[in-house]
Amino acid sequence: MPRPECPRVAAARALANLLQHKGSLTRLLPAAAATVHPRDQPLLGELCYGVCRFYPRLQGLLDLLVSKPLKNKDADIQALLLLGLYQLQYTRIPDHAAISETVAATRQLNKNWARSFVNGVLRQYQREADSLARQLLEAEAKAHPRWILDKLKQQWPQHWEAVVDANNTAAPMTLRVNQRHCSRESYLLQLKGAGIGARPCRFSATGVILETACDVSELPGFNEGACSVQDEASQLVAPLLRARNDSRILDCCCAPGGKTGHLLELVGSGTWLDAVEIDRRRLQQVQQNLSRLNFSANLIAGDATQPKQWWHGEPYDAILLDAPCSASGVIRRHPDIKLLRKASDISRLVRLQSHLLEALWPLLRSGGLLLYTTCSVFQEENDGVVGAFATGKTDVKLLPVSTTWGIASRWGRQLLPETGANDGFFYALMEKTEPAEHAANQGP
Amino acid sequence: MAILEILEFPDPRLRKRAEPVETVDATTMRLVDDMFETMYAAPGIGLAATQVDVHRRIIVIDLSEEKNQPLVLINPEVEVLDPQAETYDEGCLSVPGFYETVIRPRAIRVTAQDRNGEQQEFEAEGLLAVCVQHEIDHLDGKLFVDYLSTVKRQRIRNKLLKQQRSKA
Repeated sequence: MPRPECPRVAAARALANLLQHKGSLTRLLPAAAATVHPRDQPLLGELCYGVCRFYPRLQGLLDLLVSKPLKNKDADIQALLLLGLYQLQYTRIPDHAAISETVAATRQLNKNWARSFVNGVLRQYQREADSLARQLLEAEAKAHPRWILDKLKQQWPQHWEAVVDANNTAAPMTLRVNQRHCSRESYLLQLKGAGIGARPCRFSATGVILETACDVSELPGFNEGACSVQDEASQLVAPLLRARNDSRILDCCCAPGGKTGHLLELVGSGTWLDAVEIDRRRLQQVQQNLSRLNFSANLIAGDATQPKQWWHGEPYDAILLDAPCSASGVIRRHPDIKLLRKASDISRLVRLQSHLLEALWPLLRSGGLLLYTTCSVFQEENDGVVGAFATGKTDVKLLPVSTTWGIASRWGRQLLPETGANDGFFYALMEKTEPAEHAANQGP
Repeated sequence: MAILEILEFPDPRLRKRAEPVETVDATTMRLVDDMFETMYAAPGIGLAATQVDVHRRIIVIDLSEEKNQPLVLINPEVEVLDPQAETYDEGCLSVPGFYETVIRPRAIRVTAQDRNGEQQEFEAEGLLAVCVQHEIDHLDGKLFVDYLSTVKRQRIRNKLLKQQRSKA
């Protein structure tokens, strides 16, 4: 086998695949990381995440610098140029090292012809950085695809700039302390003892935000289930269901199992919890996460839109539907959304979300609660879906979600992503009433 | 010592199954030395005798940056300890310039003779596990491209043939 790759070469290969829509960062990065020396893995991660985070801006600059677009087979050279621009703008790598290492990578990519080309483009950027930056379009300057920026401005006229800022900043690492092990205060002390700086979350009573991300193996008691890695916005989900240990609970689209684990922390093991996930491999991840917390659930590999294939026929007291979505509230965690997501995806997702709600509602007992959540900030997927579902139904009663956090929307509650704090998330809580109990829905 | 020629895919000689080494003698030692020199020059971290057209069950590996942790595996056998899949973008000195994701078991136990013919046994995961499995595949006439789709393998084959023709 050949010797491990230089991080820039591995990053260029991974990003070239991403540029050609051959996979997501979550899938491509681990494979690329395996080809570099472990000590280079953090740099590789920073380069790949950074290029995605600022892709619209970097590509905008590149379009100004390179008049003729590169051929498809030279996506690795395009990636290398983006990597070079990223290093020059956003890292502390000295300019001369950034340029020479990036130029050197052309040889390992078997693209010797590109050597002087890459060198020339990066040096031209160095000379003309300010004037180039002034020529960028607004969406490029703000490092967002045009359609996402337009939607944010239109839907969140008061907040869009803060959302853009949050999207362009790496998310913090947030933990959920397992109340069955210890209190948040005592865990904060343990973290301090381990030399890990942390502060309590604002809204989640069990949440802790680390000053700097670390490997989970460094976290006190992690393997024994003392805490889980979960964003604050996700930590607010499980308590809303008000489940008890005699509840029958359904958790739909459950992978990777963060909320499943949280539900069980709240209600205790031995509770009837069915957790459904369509992706078998991701279901294994749920299993691992639950085992670490010493819980078990009925894990079901199934399509949540087709309950007939897996439902035993016993109605549920509580259903959590964490619906597949555009993930527009977690762009900072999945910055490749800026490259991969298309405006046309939204209507397809809305159809799926509506389909899921319609399919799962009959599984809820009368008096039971269904919580619909997404990690989206787009109203189509949130108020739009819930409104269309509830309107005209006589057995859906919208309940208030919270008053201490987030922004009230017509049908639920929205958290917008915040730099240094929570992700963007939407919550709508519905109770199933006797059909005759009240008239058609007008909102909560 | 000498740098040997490394066969390149789709050379049919890469498909031969290597024979067990009966006695570790001076010839074996010389071959091992040449294989290390060839591997270090490539630069590589693992090389199977098959790749230098010697069809005996011998592998050399050195993952260290400093080239000071040579590992010789003669007549290696592998037992899977953890079948959980690990993905790795593998490359191969016999398939130069191509990297593709291959899935293999995560952890293995390796038994083999060392350069003195002594029996050794160790457990491996991470890059070492990938490398050992990759090199043992060579001894069985197998290449990492065999794990890819026919279309992908064919594309790599054609590109390499073209390169080889332009070099010849």
